[in-house]
Amino acid sequence: MKALVVDDSMTIRKIVIKALNTIGITDVAEAGDGEECVRSVSTAEYDIVLLDWNMPKMTGIDALKTLREAGKKVPVIMVTTEAEKSRVIEAIKTGANEYLIKPFSPEQLAAKVKNVLPALAGA
Amino acid sequence: MNVAYINPFVEAVDNVFRTMIDVPTTRKSVRMSSENGTGVSLTAIIGITGEFGGVVVLRFPPTTALATAGKMLGTTLTDSASPEVTDAIAELANMVAGSAKAKFEQDPPLQLGLPTVVHGSNYRVRYPTRSIWLEVPFESAIGDFALELTFGSA
Repeated sequence: MKALVVDDSMTIRKIVIKALNTIGITDVAEAGDGEECVRSVSTAEYDIVLLDWNMPKMTGIDALKTLREAGKKVPVIMVTTEAEKSRVIEAIKTGANEYLIKPFSPEQLAAKVKNVLPALAGA
Repeated sequence: MNVAYINPFVEAVDNVFRTMIDVPTTRKSVRMSSENGTGVSLTAIIGITGEFGGVVVLRFPPTTALATAGKMLGTTLTDSASPEVTDAIAELANMVAGSAKAKFEQDPPLQLGLPTVVHGSNYRVRYPTRSIWLEVPFESAIGDFALELTFGSA
């Protein structure tokens, strides 16, 4: 399993990576904004992308739109402080597979990843 | 500034600290912010715009900032001006502002800016004339800190 963690906060990237490690995902790449995310997904294969919303250069929702318009089907979990219902609906309509609101516990993040990647259900 | 606006932010502070670092917080009495210098501190600042708007500030003494960032990252940190501490404090402010703004359920949603962190000693935060800033001091097992806020109808 290979994951891409996209967040402009190195703190959140570290927290997310640590949570992924606990369920056996240890091959993890990082990106600090939406543009970097799009570039990375265009050049490498990932099993899952964890994507922040508010970032410099390109937001997470714009990165998600770009990926889906390019036909990229990689599962995406939005991991964001954007907690309004309208934001969740917008993300799901754009092609997000799951939505996790910050703040979150490692257990909550692991549960969302397992929802998207059933092969990890026993991890 | 309507004092009722402050509750979502106070609740957000405690929720963020409990969820991210398992540290409960206790709020003290709300008071008007002063512009006095506060010694060495880290100040995270984030703006909110939309139908309602304002600025959210989290101010930490270095010891609290180090302990908070260390718990978030699962490590011991010694330099409160390091990028690790600055980033962690910025992200805390982001989560507090994001959690609170969602309670207003505006459509379109209120917009969060990107957080800024200031580190230094004997600096003053100057508040614009006519804006009313409230301060909520917090206590926790890892140290004291404060939320400062101005928020209301745009």
